[in-house]
Amino acid sequence: MRSQLAIAVVFGLAVACESATVSHTSTPVDAPDLSLQGVAFARLSEGRVVARGTAEHLDYRRAGGRLVATAGAASMEPQPGTTLASFGTLHVTAPHADGEIANRRGTAWGGVDLDTGRGDRGSTEAVEYDGVVLRSEKKVIAHGPGYRVEGNGLIAQADGSSVRLTNRVTGQMQMEAQR
Amino acid sequence: MIALLLAATTASLPPGPVDFKAQDMRIEPKGHRVYLDGDVHLVRADLTVTGDHALAEYRQQQEPARKRKAQARLGGEAVDKFTVDGRVHMQRGTRTADGDRGVLDVPGQTLVLTGTPDAPPVVRDGSETLSGDRILLRLDNDDMDVQRPKLVLKRSLPSETQKAPTTPVKVEAARLKVFKEKQLAEFRDDVVVRRGDAVVKSPRMDARYDKDGQLTKLEMRGGVDMKQGDRRATGQNADYDAVSKVLVLTGDPRLYDRGDVLAGDKIDMALDSKEVRVEKAKGRLHPEQHKEETASPATGGARRAEHANDETGGRP
Repeated sequence: MRSQLAIAVVFGLAVACESATVSHTSTPVDAPDLSLQGVAFARLSEGRVVARGTAEHLDYRRAGGRLVATAGAASMEPQPGTTLASFGTLHVTAPHADGEIANRRGTAWGGVDLDTGRGDRGSTEAVEYDGVVLRSEKKVIAHGPGYRVEGNGLIAQADGSSVRLTNRVTGQMQMEAQR
Repeated sequence: MIALLLAATTASLPPGPVDFKAQDMRIEPKGHRVYLDGDVHLVRADLTVTGDHALAEYRQQQEPARKRKAQARLGGEAVDKFTVDGRVHMQRGTRTADGDRGVLDVPGQTLVLTGTPDAPPVVRDGSETLSGDRILLRLDNDDMDVQRPKLVLKRSLPSETQKAPTTPVKVEAARLKVFKEKQLAEFRDDVVVRRGDAVVKSPRMDARYDKDGQLTKLEMRGGVDMKQGDRRATGQNADYDAVSKVLVLTGDPRLYDRGDVLAGDKIDMALDSKEVRVEKAKGRLHPEQHKEETASPATGGARRAEHANDETGGRP
């Protein structure tokens, strides 16, 4: 989920910057085609803001549509009626993120955090996104109303339909009250 | 087994979260389910349930959408039911239970254990064992409901008059309900009680216990048929005193013993000494068939008819 949102940040930035005019000056071979500081973006869908975010720094390389961002943060409003909608607004932050727009792939690392409008909080060191599934092979900690869980890996469908914590999981689940 | 269950002082399962451990955890928010796989441990207060897999099902909310957010928990709800599969083991205090599947109904405060024909569910307390096709354990009051129970009733201490080891009383029935508060175990349908060479059959039987959870009495009702060696006794009712080891038949009781037929108001049978006492006896005796008993009375088989109305050749 968090990496999905990180990717959303990246995509949003890409969309925001793709049409910008860039002057041709002397740069290193691996220099980005576009480098921005203090970026803010908003993504609109059918006249509605569905995502917004910020990044301290963003580099964009046109070849491969590759984006690299630092200190990224994004908020998303899941579409009503979807599984994600029950979580409310999703907030994701990551110190580092990169992604390829064309391949819909991305990674976020350095401590990826997720908050939801419902009161969930989760964090892990790094996540990868392949367009469908989010993965992490690092320690994952999450807690929220009625639960707390720790695992050492994550495999989650980006649409929220299934979230799997792996490699020794511990936690607590709230139980229903006695009749 | 029942004795110890009745003596146990387990409190109801307190409200609060359940601690869990597993290899993997899969959450399906839309299905209101969480799957735990691999070496699953569920712990709440003094209750521990382990198994290979577990499914946690969440309460399906029916409140209006407005209220839903305020009451949201994991998946929007709290866990309603755990289903644990594969090498299920339960521990609570000194009591343990094993089965192939365990269903923990959280609001209902019950744990239902089932097994396979080869490995039925089992409840143990110390060295005593209770098995059956299906065992329902109430977690709030320690009552139990067992289908096709098989168990051994014991007094944990021998009686004062009998220092020898006690002969276990084995019971089978279609149904067993244990009520801790009443210190009562109700066996229903096809009750079969075995103690040594004695076999007693009855449609229903109540086992009563003292405050220490010691078996005191078995009450059989609805037609009783007892066999011990060559002897057979019938009556409408029978009471077995667990301390004196005497079975008392009432309700048109009759005793059949190698051609002898005795009837009376009441027949007392000591299962250890095999001594029989018949009140207001009448019947037909064939002493010649009991020569061995007369020659060596110490071996048992003595009969004593009080106020006997020996109508030799007559009918009871």
